[in-house]
Amino acid sequence: MLPSDTTMPLHEQPTHSDANMIDYLNQRRGKVISNTGGWFPGKGVFSHGYSMLEELVGEKSYFQILILNATGKLVDKALADWVEAIYGCLSWPDPRIWCNQIGALAGAARTSVVAATTIGAMAADSRSYGPRTRLEGVKFIQGALRQYKNGVTPQEIVAAAAAKTRGKPYIVGYIRPIAKGDERIEAMEKVSKQLNLHAGEHMALAYQIEQVLIEKYDERMNINGYVCAFLSDYGFSGQEMYQMFAGMVASGVTACYLDTYKRPPDTFLPLRCDDIDYQGVARRAVPD
Amino acid sequence: MTSAPEKNEPKRVKVQSRNEPFNARAATRIWAEQPSSDNPYIATSALCHGYDVFELMEKRSFVDVFYLLFRGDLPSVAEAQLLQALMIALINPGPRHPATRAAMNVGVGKTNPLHILPIASAVLGGEHQGGGEIENAMRFLRKYQKTNPADWQHTATDVDASEESADDNSASPTPGFGKRHGGIDLMAAGIAARLLKLDAAGTALMWGDEFAKNLAPSGNGWLITGVASAVFADLGFQPKAGGALFQLLGAPGLVAHGLEVANKPITAMPYVSDANYTIER
Repeated sequence: MLPSDTTMPLHEQPTHSDANMIDYLNQRRGKVISNTGGWFPGKGVFSHGYSMLEELVGEKSYFQILILNATGKLVDKALADWVEAIYGCLSWPDPRIWCNQIGALAGAARTSVVAATTIGAMAADSRSYGPRTRLEGVKFIQGALRQYKNGVTPQEIVAAAAAKTRGKPYIVGYIRPIAKGDERIEAMEKVSKQLNLHAGEHMALAYQIEQVLIEKYDERMNINGYVCAFLSDYGFSGQEMYQMFAGMVASGVTACYLDTYKRPPDTFLPLRCDDIDYQGVARRAVPD
Repeated sequence: MTSAPEKNEPKRVKVQSRNEPFNARAATRIWAEQPSSDNPYIATSALCHGYDVFELMEKRSFVDVFYLLFRGDLPSVAEAQLLQALMIALINPGPRHPATRAAMNVGVGKTNPLHILPIASAVLGGEHQGGGEIENAMRFLRKYQKTNPADWQHTATDVDASEESADDNSASPTPGFGKRHGGIDLMAAGIAARLLKLDAAGTALMWGDEFAKNLAPSGNGWLITGVASAVFADLGFQPKAGGALFQLLGAPGLVAHGLEVANKPITAMPYVSDANYTIER
């Protein structure tokens, strides 16, 4: 009997179920099986094998704990400080930036600060900017390094990207919207040197590719390209970077929320009716 | 510290604005508001794809206007009937769906009830049993609906490979179809069977049903995301819109369940005991 045969009541129809799956689910009812950690009152809090209150809090920095929670890796403080500095580069209090404008609009509409901050962080889950771009950025630079090691030149790598878009090579990690160049890279190069953190072969190739873009297209690497190459050299995958930067814009969103929250409602970028360009069909009668 | 530059590090230059030509005004084909005579910020009427909202309120159903909003034209009687039947079918993902459970956690946790909808609808946007599967399912149906469902090769093995598995986050080869809890989702099948009887049921629903029949012996069949995708495709919605529509149509149930427990004590829902909590390391 087939499931779409409505002559038989649904509850009598066979599901052709896998008994092992039912058993598997039954074994997990009412139980948490965690690969990460947990809190047991009276015993402690554990994260990835560490006792949080005995081994992490006060011993490790917040960003070491953040990276541990996001990737399962406990990194040295210097690298965690580097990631913290990147966070500082990614959270600007300018409401023209799309995710920040969510915060500003939320402030204008009087939502709670937590709603504003979290939905702003969610708005940055974009193909164009924000943490998700790590996935494509890492895919590019790690793929490019594999090609480079097989004898493909940086010029050929850029040319292949340009051929795909029939013009300017829109490589994730290079070429930035709104502005040319990225002042954050220079700031982070200083931070890397101060922390005595050295990049490796991904970064070296990333710079070579940037040089090709400068010479041929007057375009440069952006902060995403820099982060993807640098952290690839430290053994992180794109998915791990996506995870550790999940909330990276949150602080700037909060700042933009507060600015409009303190002002009268409806006064952030006010729109008159005719500020909207209606391009739809003309007025028509509703048929009965 | 004055370490040497990294290998190949280019010289940095001053950042320059691209001065891109942004539009001066936001544009829409959906909605037009007419201002009052003495305050350009106050609207006195609104058009939805050309129809006056006041007139729509008098003459048309909510389902008609919902369809109009997304499709740009009013539906036929049969189209409205099919959409309404789907809207009823999807109105509540049910208390076991992860999105509803999120809503109930929000409620019982004494979170601001206004957060129930955004939180739970984000979970309903997931790629498993959620909006995140709809676009792929709509594309799958549109691609294969002109073929013979019986000709679909590798069916059993491919679908089995897409089963729920802890480590498998890869996209299903048959989005919208598969196993639920190890077997056929009879509710999804039952909903599809009822929708198929309606006049506006189209190629996607019919193809999907034949496809589900072929899958049945292996314990695979319609998933609710597949049923929704088939209706959206038959009604002419774009695949890109499908996921968000799925979130919208499931939203009432999420909010209802969240509100139901919002005034209950935190003990009103299970809390796993330490004895039933295992850390795998």
